[in-house]
Amino acid sequence: MVSPLTLDLHGESLIQQYRELLPTLKQLAQEANKQLRQALEEKDIYVTAIEYRIKSENSLIGKLELKGAKYKSIEDVTDLVGLRVITFYTDEVDKVAAIAKRVFDIDWQESVDKRKLHQLDSFGYNSLHYICRLKTGGPRFELQMRTALQHVWSTIEHDTGYKNDVKIPDEFIRQFNRLAGMLELIDDEFSRLRIVLTDYRRQVQSLVKNGRLDEVPLSADTFRNYLELHPFDRLNRRIAAVNQAEIYHASLMPFLSLLESFGLKSLGDVQNFIDNNSDDAYQLALSHLALTDLDILSSSAALLYLSMVHVLKCGGGRKGLKLIYDNINGESDANGMLADLMFEQARTLSFMHMNKESNDGK
Amino acid sequence: MNTVLKEENNDLVMYFEGRLDTASALEVEKAVAPLKESSGHDIILDCSKMDYISSAGLRIFLSILKSAKPKGDHVYIKGISDSIRAVFAMTGFVNLFEFK
Repeated sequence: MVSPLTLDLHGESLIQQYRELLPTLKQLAQEANKQLRQALEEKDIYVTAIEYRIKSENSLIGKLELKGAKYKSIEDVTDLVGLRVITFYTDEVDKVAAIAKRVFDIDWQESVDKRKLHQLDSFGYNSLHYICRLKTGGPRFELQMRTALQHVWSTIEHDTGYKNDVKIPDEFIRQFNRLAGMLELIDDEFSRLRIVLTDYRRQVQSLVKNGRLDEVPLSADTFRNYLELHPFDRLNRRIAAVNQAEIYHASLMPFLSLLESFGLKSLGDVQNFIDNNSDDAYQLALSHLALTDLDILSSSAALLYLSMVHVLKCGGGRKGLKLIYDNINGESDANGMLADLMFEQARTLSFMHMNKESNDGK
Repeated sequence: MNTVLKEENNDLVMYFEGRLDTASALEVEKAVAPLKESSGHDIILDCSKMDYISSAGLRIFLSILKSAKPKGDHVYIKGISDSIRAVFAMTGFVNLFEFK
């Protein structure tokens, strides 16, 4: 721990100024943090962390010991308040910077883009630092913007005391540089991968929109896009009309694994599954609901009845029906009872007689 | 319909006895209010002695689920008869709840 006694008179005077300024610094840190968070939220920019700190007295003493003469007054020390934004991707560092420019006044003479300081053959601490001031005035503060991997680099670098007074042998410096280079490469690859995935999603959305469903493989992403077309709404409304039921919205994503278990490979397969089974699914639902006064229905009802009809038409019988419930509801003996109930009701319907041989209650 | 609310092993357990239909829905709605206000407890709806559930009853169960989910609490339905389970299956709600 450094004692204030190690400072000269000027240094001690700066420390005194710091103590008087401390309440203002606390307010400044909170206000800057609030303004930046709000601006990032407004622009839908999600970051891994936004943190702030006020420089401790000990840390300031350490700094003043080394270069106290450089500062005429405490306000010349620009990192008394520090904000740090850690982003997922490299390009988001620039987005955060663009927002910071709008929210704060930037002191361009003091700000530095450490990402551009490297020699062509060196790697390391890649971070963007702005020295800022609130639009309403007050002391300056430092804003650091970096990716999660840049943060990892600088945290480890700090932890290992890489920049201390002991001369580090060249082989260790080389190891550090190799790791830094690797992190930079990974950062770039993550950003590139994100761009590729975004392009892929756009292509899939366009194929779905244009009805070219056979070309779209069935996956969580594509099924989610497909659901935006509300492919089950028509059948749900038809079933709901039986008892003038209200339709309660429920996620259909848990049914994806069920559809995959049927061997459906593309959205085209899912569309065929709907087209080929809708009338029979309606009849099955009707045979159950018409005898009740149930006037609320889950939006998953259509998909559930379609699945049952599909399984029965494929000869899955009672066992196949139980597997549906096991898939969506977890395995349980009670699912056997539901399968029996559905199977008995389905036996009275015409589509079962067309598949009689394969549906004799196996 | 009779309802009893108990706290058991940090779970809130609501016991239902009788018919949960339109006639009893208003009273039950009031009885389940503490379940919706609670946080940090899993909820067990014990239907071992429930004879019947109507759409009004389903709506009450769904409203309990809707308030519990964002808080990260689970809602379990325990001991339902085959005929009540069939109601959940027919209406497509069978995968929304966890059954014990």
